[in-house]
Amino acid sequence: MALHTRNETFENGSATSGIPVVSKWLEDKTFGLGLINISLFVILNVTGILLMFYYAADTDRAYQDIKDLQFVITFGAIFRNMHRWSAYAMIALVFLHMSRVFYMAEYRRPRQLNWVIGWCLFLCTLIASLTGYLLPWDQKAYWGMTIMSNVMASAPIIGEKLKYVVLGGSEIGQNALSRAFDLHVKVMPLIMSFLIALHVIRNRTDDLIANPQLHGDAEVSVWPNIICRELSKFFIILIIIMVAAILFGAPLEEEANPSVTPIPAKAPWFFLGLQELLSWGAPFWFAIVIPNMVLLFAFLVPYIERGQTGGGVWLHPSRRLQNILFTAFVTVAIGLIILGAFFRGPAWRFYWPWESWPLH
Amino acid sequence: MSADKFTRRNFLAGVGWLATLGTFGGLTAASARYLFPNVLYEPPLEFKIALPEEYPEGVTFVAAKRIFVIREQNLIKVVSGVCTHIGCTIRWSDERNRFECPCHGTMFSANGAVTAGPAPKPLPWYEVSLAPDGRLLVNERQIVPFQQALTV
Repeated sequence: MALHTRNETFENGSATSGIPVVSKWLEDKTFGLGLINISLFVILNVTGILLMFYYAADTDRAYQDIKDLQFVITFGAIFRNMHRWSAYAMIALVFLHMSRVFYMAEYRRPRQLNWVIGWCLFLCTLIASLTGYLLPWDQKAYWGMTIMSNVMASAPIIGEKLKYVVLGGSEIGQNALSRAFDLHVKVMPLIMSFLIALHVIRNRTDDLIANPQLHGDAEVSVWPNIICRELSKFFIILIIIMVAAILFGAPLEEEANPSVTPIPAKAPWFFLGLQELLSWGAPFWFAIVIPNMVLLFAFLVPYIERGQTGGGVWLHPSRRLQNILFTAFVTVAIGLIILGAFFRGPAWRFYWPWESWPLH
Repeated sequence: MSADKFTRRNFLAGVGWLATLGTFGGLTAASARYLFPNVLYEPPLEFKIALPEEYPEGVTFVAAKRIFVIREQNLIKVVSGVCTHIGCTIRWSDERNRFECPCHGTMFSANGAVTAGPAPKPLPWYEVSLAPDGRLLVNERQIVPFQQALTV
């Protein structure tokens, strides 16, 4: 699709149907978010393999191993930082990728299935991030996981069993660490590699289904033109991540200690919105029902939306309602994270970011 | 494909399918069950703590066990130190005379009842007795009403 303008791949060509587009500059830009995410996934795999050479998922050793990576092993901190920042970037960019596809209504026929695959990849990104979060075995890891496992336990009927099987016991210990490690380094990369391959193949196939004219058009050859161009984008991302890893260190707190809950105990930032919701009432409603309704709705978007116009361009006027609703949802989701991250202090009370917390 | 006749071929094919599905289903069920450990190397739910004399008047936190030992003259009670909301370790505030959770701000009164915040249940009080060696024996399996205390 890089060889053509976006509108060519959308047979209805709504951008040319007379209604002025919202922004001439934005019009049909995709920002290459998919490729950026694949690049980050590759960086995560390589740095992850490097980290594993020095890391043992043992509750007595894990924290010391991370300390060694941070302070003893040459360039250990750089690879750990790269791994952490790529993971955080990937969460944000997968979300932006989904938002971009929504604003351009590119989940429509024949792309419904690919939207669903992308939705699965978003969930996988969150699960991989969460399981990775426990591995350093520091206070943040331990209490973040405490919060998440008790959220699972609040699910009706199967909740307690679910928590038991995820933790491999009734509390966070060796079994929980072994399972998180296994999921993080084997299961999730395997599933995600498979889904990414499927996602890319379907993307190409769907383009051809939507516009058969694309077929057999070979003014630019894949090698070297496209490969070189995409590879150079990958190197730019690699440079950015490396510079970020040199400039900013990944956080590491004291070793996990079940008897002291840090004040305030906060979930990983990508689940802070969920924790903010949690503070409003029973976990069953605020951590299970509401988030799952949102996820289910996102899953079903291509099957719910009936519109036919406005595909392939940003913020098409004929999709005003959809765009307003989605923007409202994104604002609330990000707002909750910001609220949890910067406006919550001890006992989850409201504090302005510049206010100091009464710690005693 | 006429499967209506009971021939040796059909019989063997059926046996083959049965064996395949049985193996597949069996292994699926086995791996699901496998995920649930039978033995946990976790601390026991019934355990001894120190001698009653070692707990001063008022509220003492036993960090290793995440419980509070409360002494009122010769009465001893034990309450859970784990928030009933999502399991953070709560703290006792002497000046405000209540338990406070650092995670989502639940407040529990001195008798364990929720006075503010999202926690759905009051704090459980555990049965406490004297072990033969004179130390306190806490049984987390046995939830008791908060009025029940051990006289020492």
